[in-house]
Amino acid sequence: MARKLKQLYLVQRPPIKSENPKLAYTHAMASQTAEIYLEDGEEVIPTLAMVGDGVYNVVNNQQLMKHYGLNSNENHVQMALLIDLKVLVCKEDLEARGISADRLADGSALGADMTIEVVPFSEIQKEMEATDQILCF
Amino acid sequence: MKLGVILSEAVRTEETYDRLQAEKLSVVLAGNGIYHAVSKKNGKASEVLSKKADFYVLTEDLESRGFTAGDLVDSKIKPIGFDGLVDLIMDQHDKFIWL
Repeated sequence: MARKLKQLYLVQRPPIKSENPKLAYTHAMASQTAEIYLEDGEEVIPTLAMVGDGVYNVVNNQQLMKHYGLNSNENHVQMALLIDLKVLVCKEDLEARGISADRLADGSALGADMTIEVVPFSEIQKEMEATDQILCF
Repeated sequence: MKLGVILSEAVRTEETYDRLQAEKLSVVLAGNGIYHAVSKKNGKASEVLSKKADFYVLTEDLESRGFTAGDLVDSKIKPIGFDGLVDLIMDQHDKFIWL
């Protein structure tokens, strides 16, 4: 029987110091590989949403590789966009922190067609209501 | 006492910082503490910056998070590298604490 499982990965923490937000991206991306364990017609649909200090994850030009030799969460967001994951960012939380839309990570550098969607929290609320599982990071 | 403080949390869970007093006080914003230097939440700069102190921000941690010296919300915050941090610790203060 066809079944779609929707998962919302809610990222609330800033990108560095805790592995927590990074796990959201890697888990969301890995959910696609879970398809090998699914029956025909079954599908996992992950969505990433940044709220609160989680919006710092999608600020562009993160130079973590230059200074510490590590992949930044900006890279992970770009990869998520590359594999067509939906990435939502809370408009109010961006504005509260003075981060403009032109400061956000751009997946097109890696060839992604998807872009980050800046949406009001009410849209993220709708995603929370529509999803089967909510995972907080 | 000449005291240096490294503040590395974006969301503070301690109250020590508010109580600190020193003849010379320097605050180094490092790690996630750099968000106090670049964010104006709802138009207001972080209360961390209201303390009477010399403020520094670690450039490596600023840039690692996608920000530059041009994003600092107050000109009293001076960007420094690890070498500058070593000078602060070794030459300019009696003690350094990490909150």
